[in-house]
Amino acid sequence: MKFLRDTFIMSIVFILSPFIALADKSDDTLVIAFTREITNLDYNYGTKTEYIILGDMIDDSLFYVEPENLSYAPSLASDFKIVNETTIDVNLKQGVKFHDGSEMTADDVVYTFNFINKNDKNRRHSKVSGWLDSIERTGKYSVRFNLKTPYANFFNDCYRIKIRKKGIMGTEGNWIDDAQATSNTGLGPYKVISFEPGVEVVLERNEEYFNGPKGKPAIKNLIIRSIPDMGTQQAELMSGGIHWMYNVKKDIGEAMAKTGKADYQLGPSLRVGFLVLDAGGYSGEGNPITKLEVRRAMNHAINRNSIATNLIGGPAKAIHTACNPVVFGCFQDVMKYEYNPEKAKELLVQAGYPNGFDLELYSYRDKEAALAMVDDLAKVGINVSLKHGKLAVLNKARKARQIRAYFGTWGSSASPDTATISNIHWRNPEKGDRNLSGDPKVNELMLGGEQTLDKEERKRLYAEGLKLIAEQAYWVPLWSYSEGVLSSKDINFVQDPDGYPRIWKTTWK
Amino acid sequence: MLKFVAGRFLVSLAVAFTISFVTFFFLNIFTDPAQAVAGEEALFEEIEQIRTQYGFDRPILTRYFEWLGGIFTGDFGVSYYWNKPVGTLLLERAPQTIKLALMSVSVTIMVAIPLGIFAALNPNSIIDRFALSVAVSAQAIPNFWLGLILIIIFSVTFQIFPVSGDKTYYHFILPSIVLGTSSVPPVMRLMRTGLLDVINSDYIRTARSIGFSGWRLVTKHALRNAVLPVISVVAVQLGHKFGGSLITESVFAINGLGRLALLSILGADIPTVQILIFVFAITFIVFNLLSDILNAYLDPRLRL
Amino acid sequence: MILKYIFRHTNPDFLNRDFEKLTPKDIMFRKAIYHSGFKFGLLLLSTITFIGVFVPFFVDMSPYDQDISKRLLPPVWSEGGSWQYIFGTDGNGRDYLARIIYGTRVSLTIGIGAATVGMLIGVTLGVIAGYFGGIVDQVVSYILTCQLALPGILFLLTIISIVGSSLTVVILVIGVLHWTLFLVVTRAATQRIRNLDYITAANAIGARKTNIIFTDILPNVLNQIIVIFTLEVGVAILAEATISFLGLGIQPPTPSWGVLIAEGKEAIFFQPWLIILPGIALFLLVISINMLGDGLRDITDPNTNIE
Repeated sequence: MKFLRDTFIMSIVFILSPFIALADKSDDTLVIAFTREITNLDYNYGTKTEYIILGDMIDDSLFYVEPENLSYAPSLASDFKIVNETTIDVNLKQGVKFHDGSEMTADDVVYTFNFINKNDKNRRHSKVSGWLDSIERTGKYSVRFNLKTPYANFFNDCYRIKIRKKGIMGTEGNWIDDAQATSNTGLGPYKVISFEPGVEVVLERNEEYFNGPKGKPAIKNLIIRSIPDMGTQQAELMSGGIHWMYNVKKDIGEAMAKTGKADYQLGPSLRVGFLVLDAGGYSGEGNPITKLEVRRAMNHAINRNSIATNLIGGPAKAIHTACNPVVFGCFQDVMKYEYNPEKAKELLVQAGYPNGFDLELYSYRDKEAALAMVDDLAKVGINVSLKHGKLAVLNKARKARQIRAYFGTWGSSASPDTATISNIHWRNPEKGDRNLSGDPKVNELMLGGEQTLDKEERKRLYAEGLKLIAEQAYWVPLWSYSEGVLSSKDINFVQDPDGYPRIWKTTWK
Repeated sequence: MLKFVAGRFLVSLAVAFTISFVTFFFLNIFTDPAQAVAGEEALFEEIEQIRTQYGFDRPILTRYFEWLGGIFTGDFGVSYYWNKPVGTLLLERAPQTIKLALMSVSVTIMVAIPLGIFAALNPNSIIDRFALSVAVSAQAIPNFWLGLILIIIFSVTFQIFPVSGDKTYYHFILPSIVLGTSSVPPVMRLMRTGLLDVINSDYIRTARSIGFSGWRLVTKHALRNAVLPVISVVAVQLGHKFGGSLITESVFAINGLGRLALLSILGADIPTVQILIFVFAITFIVFNLLSDILNAYLDPRLRL
Repeated sequence: MILKYIFRHTNPDFLNRDFEKLTPKDIMFRKAIYHSGFKFGLLLLSTITFIGVFVPFFVDMSPYDQDISKRLLPPVWSEGGSWQYIFGTDGNGRDYLARIIYGTRVSLTIGIGAATVGMLIGVTLGVIAGYFGGIVDQVVSYILTCQLALPGILFLLTIISIVGSSLTVVILVIGVLHWTLFLVVTRAATQRIRNLDYITAANAIGARKTNIIFTDILPNVLNQIIVIFTLEVGVAILAEATISFLGLGIQPPTPSWGVLIAEGKEAIFFQPWLIILPGIALFLLVISINMLGDGLRDITDPNTNIE
């Protein structure tokens, strides 16, 4: 078996090489694979992790997250000053050029933020319009932000907004939403050479790239291919068709590493997994999940440690809070539910379900982990049918208020602050369908935590909120993830502690 | 003949309309086009806004005729998922599928016709039984599994063919075998029974009795008569290939219409899905029409 | 009783009896005995059905029980395999043999269920079209033409992705898309029978239409319907496996073979048995059903000879 496998791997490269246009070190071209398709180049219109990675390569923003200490650093900004709680002055770097050669000035920044604030079709609008009152030009290279309320996650939101050249997205009332969807005039370390939606993006190093914190890429050409099938990605990696793939599960990564054809890194990630429970009874009043004992029973029933170690592996760990313990504000001293199926059964009896009940659990990733939870819940009598599918299916059911419990994950890619996960998950139920707690207090505390700049006050609010969430068992916090990356032997790719892949830092060996 | 062709053409046209109508209604009633445009993460307000902005709040019949009118003027709508006009998408992806369909039909012909001929010439022999078991097996093998098994054998163990992709013709060999296999049974069976009928027919028996024999007889007379109906079945099979490309293209990561269809379904991209169903149906209808006309040309009794 | 019947029919005396003296039933039986494809198909199908449906009652195994500390164990014939898990375990540490065995039930349920739905639709439309003729017949033919032109698997996937997937949905949708053969056969037979003298007479004396349909027409097409039904079971099983493989059919943890193959696909290089084994099961089941169907067709067709 082993011999067969080794010979196969030795020769697959050999045999396949004539048929695959090999892009490699000799022509300075790095090829990476994404599982999910890229269909739009404009990060201001996207949310998937793949778009964040691409956005960081072709665009730039005022601020950036330093991976070493997980803090925000100026990128297009040169420095900033917090004048008061609702006024922030930002100075811009000079001589920064768009890919078309024109210089970036305060006009472009003002234009971009106005576009985000006033055009409600872009993805950042709903969040930014919540805090941004206006932005004004205070000089050729300086702007002033006037905020509606104090807003702690200001730097993160600025990091999310890719600066656009003035006029490129149209004008107010006549916004052109797809202006940057298939071509890009960005500021990032790479330029888009060609783009085939759902198939590939070809990038070339931006030789004019300013001296930003990302640094100038070492590799000149970069191709991103969409290969939806993990098996195909593995084959391509072994045959030299691609150099890098991520989201690789433990078993496959380790088996590949054993062949000696690739390096496997399984490092920490900011992503966390959790079950969101319909405590508020949105899917039907009086359903079993609305009972506190039932939610607590579910917390006791799932063996998170075992799943984190056996299925996810690497640095993955069980968590007890509705946030990743390493990020700012993620208070840890909350009520903890140890794995205890007996206690879970008792709680179900107390709740009036001695024979358990039927439950539909929605999920969209990590099918194995989802199945393991189904099994754990079955052991205490909760008969779960798993609805595993695309994220779109989950979103649709959630929007229709049909979900009693779903297995969610949140990447918080490169955003080391509890505000990021809280903002989307504990919104006012009128404005978002993820908050199923039905408890206005949670919304008040968890979103209150971002409406002040006072760090101690923020910590206090999050601590209160997280304690409440744990005590009422609004969620079943599951585990922090690990991020698995396979890279070819030709390249040096270093995984950062937040698990977010900064591909532009890759070098040839 | 002309009357027959015209009649068939009209029926086909009607069928195409019916299918487009049913598909459009089905997709637009049971899914929310505004949601599809707004995308996965959209909030309530965003969706409502898009609904009025794109006119999804207008009556469905109005939208259907607009859509149909668009098709006639070459405007196939815009895919919000792929960020492209659907027409452009079709033009980009069609060559791969056409290539795959033609190559797989060639595989079918190369396997099924010789097998059918040999089986008919030697009824109840080992060859005949072998041909029959090939046909029975080919019917029972799931397409997607055959694809994976061929990958395990030819790409993993013996490393003869690439695992996936569509860069060169070489990439199309395994997929064509997979897709071609499913058409082997009907074509082979028809070839066999057709040829057997001709061989047992009076004129060939007579020819035999007056001294014609063996291969010459088969190739010159029997085959010519038996092969024509086979051609019409092959035409129908070619029509099937376009729809069948969905699974094969997905297994081998070929960026053709079939894979586009699957990804669009999973991405809830209604504009693309409804056009693709229509396009596949039209392809099928056209090949069927050709096959009908061919049959009618061969056998005047069918021109009813 | 049955044994006696079989014994009487298989003893040499009976087999050597003159052909002319046989009743049609006897002829069928005799054909069945000489039809090797039929015998093989029946034997294989009975074995699979027995293993899939009855063995789980006697053997202690579960396709759902997970032990995630024993994941991806190789099958017994591979390096590191053990007799405890003959076919190894899957990514969740479930007994792969148990999953494959239980998968038989899923396949059979869906195959038979979908073929029944298809049969009900096809036979009903066929009888209506054949019996009433005229405009009714034309409408039904038109529906048939449209159905035939629909791109099957694409339409199937679209519907299921919209209405959501469950066992019932899968059965109904596959059934709704596979009724054309039933229609064609029933319609032709009904047309033929309707014009026979005794039916015309029955009509003339005012016999009820439903009576005529149930007592005179349906029994006459029964043989053909059984043949098509058998073959459609095979088709439906393959269709279910395909859509489950694409992730839109039967939902986990239910052990559908299509799901098993899809789950194994990611590890095609390192655990190929996860793909190979359920595929073989699927192949054997479908081929046994097809051989049985082909055999039934030969046996019930009065035009074929005893070989």
